[in-house]
Amino acid sequence: MRGIQDRLPEFAAQGVRPVAISVDAPEVSENLRKKQGYTFTFLSDPETEAIRHYDLLHKAAGPEEHDISRPAEFLVDRSGIVRWENFTEDLRVRPRAQQMLQSAQSLHW
Amino acid sequence: MLTHSSRASLCHPVQDQPQKQSNRMLWLGLAFMLLAILSNLLYFLKIPAALLPWVNLTLPILALVFLLIGLVRAFRQPQIYKGKIWGSVVTVLAVLLVAASTLFFVGARKLPSSGGAPQVGQRVPDFTLPDSTGQPTTLAQLFSASASTGAPPPKAVLLVFYRGYW
Repeated sequence: MRGIQDRLPEFAAQGVRPVAISVDAPEVSENLRKKQGYTFTFLSDPETEAIRHYDLLHKAAGPEEHDISRPAEFLVDRSGIVRWENFTEDLRVRPRAQQMLQSAQSLHW
Repeated sequence: MLTHSSRASLCHPVQDQPQKQSNRMLWLGLAFMLLAILSNLLYFLKIPAALLPWVNLTLPILALVFLLIGLVRAFRQPQIYKGKIWGSVVTVLAVLLVAASTLFFVGARKLPSSGGAPQVGQRVPDFTLPDSTGQPTTLAQLFSASASTGAPPPKAVLLVFYRGYW
């Protein structure tokens, strides 16, 4: 998240809008945004509706055995088609903002 | 004279034992253990991290191998190699470190397969989810121009699903 925020101008220059999605309630995300100074959009999916439709549900992986989302990134074009995606094999490894920018750059819109 | 000198040479190895060597394998093992612990900090640096979990797993195992070699030497040839006691202590710690690293490694990879997730070239499912101000937002709305900042409509949206901070 920090990396995305730091490179927001570069994302904007490429016409890419980052959007974060988790099971966190809107207030929790708003807190995080304020505390960390994140200015991009955070969406809340506490009922794991979208998370299930995207087949990203990680059962009982949250506190008190709550279902949460596994980490995953999708670059979606205006017609709703996935142009690039990433599913980490290891929770400790996430794509860097730099890598996501490069992936976006290599696509021809 | 002759008796004395032969006696002296006979006694020589006993009186003046060869100095015990420091047990290099134990020190090497200890060094690898420290590296293994430090390697967990590499996630905070901006380097490509895909290999890092393997490094985190391999370093403690290497440390344990060196320590075990060193320990075998210390116990089989105590007249040459030092480190029976401290080597044993560090080896026990290394066993714990290997166990913890393995648990971390396996745990961090216990992820759902997500075989049904949209693939490249496929259309993503639409959704309506509240943003952090509670405003319901659809995928289509994410592609509209921003009224607040006056930014032009984006060409693409990067959906970043994350585990949440609770």
